[in-house]
Amino acid sequence: MTALIFPTDATPGAREAQVARFIDRALGSFAADQRALFREGLAQLRRKTFSALAERDQVAILEALDRARSPFFEAVRTATIMAMFSHPKHGGNDGKAGWRLIDFQDRGVWQAPFGDYDRPGSSK
Amino acid sequence: MKTFSPRDQVDFVVVGSGAAGGVMARQLSRAGFTVVVLEQGPYLTEKDFRHDELAVGAMAALTNDHRDQPNTYRKTAADTAVTKPTIAYGRVVGGGTTHFTGNYWRFHEIDFIERSKRGGVPGAEMADWPITYAELEPYYTQVEWEIGVSGLAGAGPFDPPRSKPYPLPPLPIKSTGVLLERAAKKMGWTAFPAPTAIISAPYRGRSPCVQCGFCEGYGCEVRAKSSTLVTMIPEAVATGRCEIRPNSYVAKVETNTRGRVTGVRYFDRDKREQFQAAKAVILSANGAETPRLLLLSASSRFPQGLANASGLVGKHLMFNGFAMGLGLFPGQINGYKGNVVSRIVQDLYVLDPKLGLYGGGGFDFRADLGPIAFGLAGLPPDAPRWGPQFKKMMGDYFSRTLMAMCHTTSLPVASNSISLDPELKDAWGLPAIRVTFREHPNDLKLYRYFLDRAHELLDAAGAVKRWEFPLTEESPDLQPHLLGTCRMGHDPKTSVVNADHRAHDVPNLFIVDGSSFVTGGRGQPTMTIQALAFRAADRITGLARQGPL
Repeated sequence: MTALIFPTDATPGAREAQVARFIDRALGSFAADQRALFREGLAQLRRKTFSALAERDQVAILEALDRARSPFFEAVRTATIMAMFSHPKHGGNDGKAGWRLIDFQDRGVWQAPFGDYDRPGSSK
Repeated sequence: MKTFSPRDQVDFVVVGSGAAGGVMARQLSRAGFTVVVLEQGPYLTEKDFRHDELAVGAMAALTNDHRDQPNTYRKTAADTAVTKPTIAYGRVVGGGTTHFTGNYWRFHEIDFIERSKRGGVPGAEMADWPITYAELEPYYTQVEWEIGVSGLAGAGPFDPPRSKPYPLPPLPIKSTGVLLERAAKKMGWTAFPAPTAIISAPYRGRSPCVQCGFCEGYGCEVRAKSSTLVTMIPEAVATGRCEIRPNSYVAKVETNTRGRVTGVRYFDRDKREQFQAAKAVILSANGAETPRLLLLSASSRFPQGLANASGLVGKHLMFNGFAMGLGLFPGQINGYKGNVVSRIVQDLYVLDPKLGLYGGGGFDFRADLGPIAFGLAGLPPDAPRWGPQFKKMMGDYFSRTLMAMCHTTSLPVASNSISLDPELKDAWGLPAIRVTFREHPNDLKLYRYFLDRAHELLDAAGAVKRWEFPLTEESPDLQPHLLGTCRMGHDPKTSVVNADHRAHDVPNLFIVDGSSFVTGGRGQPTMTIQALAFRAADRITGLARQGPL
């Protein structure tokens, strides 16, 4: 499911970034209050034999959940984004896959120029 | 650090160690008084702070944690309140100043006298402050020099008069600042260096900002942010007369049969009840927790809550008006690098009354949504929220998007309030905060007006696409500016504290924080909270030297 929310293409997606590992840890700690929501949502997907379906059919199910504003889908989407873009120490963003994608670098120090518009003589 | 036994009657207990509490602690202990500061949160230092968006966000490492401290929200008294995180404040030593962005705008003269200059506005309780800008000016200057504020005197064409320049030059300009300068010029406006409570050069033993970019929401790892944690509080402790007592959750201000405050009851880190005796108590717990504590302190003598004969404790809650446009640019903005805000615009600080709008505001350009926040809310409303196209747009947009922030008037409305929820309790068994809040119609129109100008600024700056955060009248969400809930005034019928910040009803109780505000200014309240605190400390010191408070 997270691999459909943040897919793998030419660059790593949820699978390579270890999003599932992040979610496991989150549900065991700061997001413990969401365990029931995840358990129930996953049980419903299992009843639809989600993992055995073709990708096209899986996407259709997620689209339907999204349209219906399913709290379970929203929780998984939110957790996937958190996992892709949080500090790798929390279990996701493995190899800084999410940060590399958006060209975010975590450093202790920067100096001007910070972007294209504050370079001396920049007319961009 | 000097420590006191809870049985020792100290001169002052200060509840809260943030923008105001830190100043009170330092000024009163330097004046020779004994002070115990009770802070809900832990005593963290720069070694504890991390570049960790998840920790400061979902894990609430530095802020009130809604899992332990829930609040309810309703739009009006006729609605049913639902649990919804509405209030956000720093819950560490240093309070909000530990994690703030450090936008240090002074109020202008108009902010203290708008009622008499502009008249009233239906549906709002506009009132002049009991003090003027001129009376507060020396204290604004004192804040700038005592904590270290960077800026450029005379750069803002609408700046109020000042008695001294800034002690430190402005922080470096960023791409957001260059673009705001360019856009403002095209609109006939002026973008000028943002006054910021971050030091740009060595100051009083601290070394300057290294431009790591983790200011807004984070603790500073190099002590360049001029929080009370690294300025006022160490100086208070150094007097040998001040104890900072972290992990202390205050439950009640106690009073005796003569109607005087005797001290405060609080839970220590093990949730054991303690009592700290004091000759006088100062509440600097923020505009939500201060009125809550007064309401929790009801007794047979003060059945409506302490200091609440007026019935106004908790009323006139203001969050500061706020709206946000976003723009995508062809080049790299990289707003996450370096101090958050480098230029601001105040040409619309006072709007022409002919527009039919009350108040005004200011703008800045910044890119302050971290990778997680941008992933959850940064893309345009027509962008997919997941899937391959979402992933592609994250890559395309993150480093090239900036936010045009609008900071505006929010009017004091009596029905907007902090009260005690009749059912919900916090993890200490105390009634939770209930927020009742609906934007005044003028404020919604004002946000729309400013957002339209923000779009013009983004166009003028060369944005290739622009969008906005939706405006609605019932979505207060994790509001960090908490103002107006124990307003100052001369008349005990229409205010909670007098111009000395002394509770009208209780001679040895003082309230010094955002709750003292009469009107909300235009965004950025912390500078004024601290100027009020320096002034209040002078007043209280003077009173205490005349005899028992």
